[in-house]
Amino acid sequence: MTDKAEYRLYVKKNSPRSPMVRSLFAAFVVGGLICCVGEGIRDGISALFPSFSEEEVGAWTTVVMIFLGSFFTAIGVYDRLGRFAGGGSIVPITGFANSVVSPALEYNREGVFFGICAKMFVIAGPIIVFGVVSGIVVGIVACLV
Amino acid sequence: MKTGRQSFTANRPVYVRSSYTIVGPKEGEGRFGEEFDTVLKDDLWGEKSYEKAESKMHREAIRGAVCLAGMTLEDVDLMLAGDLLNELSASGFAMRYFKVPFLGLYNACSTFSEAVLLGAALIDGGAAKTVTCSTSSHFASAERQYRYPLELGNQRTPTSQWTVTGAGCTVLGAERPTAEGDRESRERFSEKMKAMREECLEAAKAEDAEKKTRTEAGDNTLFSVKGGAFDALKRRFIRAWRPECLADPVCDAAYERKFVAKITGGTFGKVTDFGIDDESNMGGAMAPAAADTFIAHLMDTGRAPEDYDAIFTGDLGRFGKEAFAHLLAKEGIKTDARYDDCGAAYYKAEQETFQGGSGAGCVNTVFNAHIIKRIERGELRRVLVLATGALLNKDTPLQKETIPGVSHAFTVECEEL
Amino acid sequence: MEVFLDYLKVFAVGGALCALGQLLINKTKMSSARILVLFMLLGLVLEVAGAFSYMKEFASSGVTIPITGFGSSIAKGAIEGAKEGGALGAVSGGLKAAAPGISAVVFFGFIFALVFRSHSKKI
Repeated sequence: MTDKAEYRLYVKKNSPRSPMVRSLFAAFVVGGLICCVGEGIRDGISALFPSFSEEEVGAWTTVVMIFLGSFFTAIGVYDRLGRFAGGGSIVPITGFANSVVSPALEYNREGVFFGICAKMFVIAGPIIVFGVVSGIVVGIVACLV
Repeated sequence: MKTGRQSFTANRPVYVRSSYTIVGPKEGEGRFGEEFDTVLKDDLWGEKSYEKAESKMHREAIRGAVCLAGMTLEDVDLMLAGDLLNELSASGFAMRYFKVPFLGLYNACSTFSEAVLLGAALIDGGAAKTVTCSTSSHFASAERQYRYPLELGNQRTPTSQWTVTGAGCTVLGAERPTAEGDRESRERFSEKMKAMREECLEAAKAEDAEKKTRTEAGDNTLFSVKGGAFDALKRRFIRAWRPECLADPVCDAAYERKFVAKITGGTFGKVTDFGIDDESNMGGAMAPAAADTFIAHLMDTGRAPEDYDAIFTGDLGRFGKEAFAHLLAKEGIKTDARYDDCGAAYYKAEQETFQGGSGAGCVNTVFNAHIIKRIERGELRRVLVLATGALLNKDTPLQKETIPGVSHAFTVECEEL
Repeated sequence: MEVFLDYLKVFAVGGALCALGQLLINKTKMSSARILVLFMLLGLVLEVAGAFSYMKEFASSGVTIPITGFGSSIAKGAIEGAKEGGALGAVSGGLKAAAPGISAVVFFGFIFALVFRSHSKKI
């Protein structure tokens, strides 16, 4: 039989790859557009509620973007966008919403308790864990310095 | 009879009594779309989950094949079945409806050839007279179990394959089918189908009439409480069986086979691992197993590739097909136009599945809908089917395991009816 | 004109971050969760290093809408919490800053999962 290492090299060399230019371009355009939508929402909120501080406006913008990401996931549009844009729809906060809502939708057939609630963070769990742990580390370091 | 190290040759002919396939809508638009018996319009098929839908497809494929063989369930001695879901839930749950002994099999996507080989060996040895061999897979249930939720917006890599939504069943028997028997069972089958369709049509008509009278009475509510919740549920169930959900069965009474296919032997495969660890590149991981089994088959039987009219691998995909040819070329075996891969050929290029189809339903539906019909028309005299499977689960790549592959081969030959 | 320029900056910077994510996907075959964690940590580090506020001034939503914004607000919250509330503030500040986002995602996820079903795909 053929040498295994040689075969591994053959597979590595000859496996089809993602079309680099096209996928980067799609990610750039879609990602940029999602950020522009976010900017529009931010401008809208600060125009509607001039009393809000910058932090409040930012938080509300995040909430609205998460709503949009969740909604388009629920109606089955976001996965198609993701297929086209890849990183363009993963990196924005809407992609985070997608990674929480999609398992929740997927497992709702196992019921509310062990389906939706238990499986909600199967993909996004690491983001929350890393966020909380790194936040605590930063806080403690800031405390000591 | 054992032949060589890994192979066996049937002492008496094991006939393919009938075959039946049910596939999803995307598969219906694929290259073999015209040849499947039933193409679903909706891959949920009126069920509440994709797992239930897969089980239903599996069940109906067995029912269809047994009916087409001109048999009842009483005549079936043993059912060999498998699928890709955890603990074989699709096949196991389908078996609740049959009072027939059941053996569950798992060899990933090569389960179908495992079932056919075992069925042929059991019939050859006299342990059973009639055996059904069925497998199924469903895109949505496989996606959830092996990959990600359906709605996750990630990108599929160019090496990935598309799990076929399909179920198929082959009925193997020691008894030789006859032309009259064939005609009779086909007639009975299409009558049954027609009756079922008429039932559905009537139910649909009654529903429409009820809706009409309701609208005329000025009641525009979508869900009437008049009939109660149970009736609403019943209507929903009937709607799942409405004719628009079912396509016309292709195997009409007019179809006549000139030849009958028989399983004459095969080669049991060894687990082969060349150290490929990319779970999105199954073709590359399974090609060595297919090559290993193929070479073992040639050595055991003393045949050359030229002795076959066609050689089909299971679901190596476009790249896996190349890798298979590459591995064989190293051993001095040339592959030519008679070799094809069921997965790579499954979908049309514009369906964007990258490497093509995969899954336990892939080689099964191609064999039962396409290959068997070509044999029965007399186009192919001797065919080798090498179904391939990757033996991993969702956790093993995370535990840094490589992907072992396995491949079983069976030989189909034809005999004039 | 100025508004247009602002949006152009947002588009360019946000798009560039996403393209960087795509480059990582193409080169390393990382899953989407890994990409998200990596970019969140990037935002966190930039905030701690003090570079994030300059980037935010330049590109606004171009850096806050990508998950880097989430990371930066965690770091910011943790540092502020440490200054104001001592040890307890340091421990809870990060999560407090991330609370609106996490609450929204849990709430909407729960509601939508009750109402909608996941759809099978054809492409």
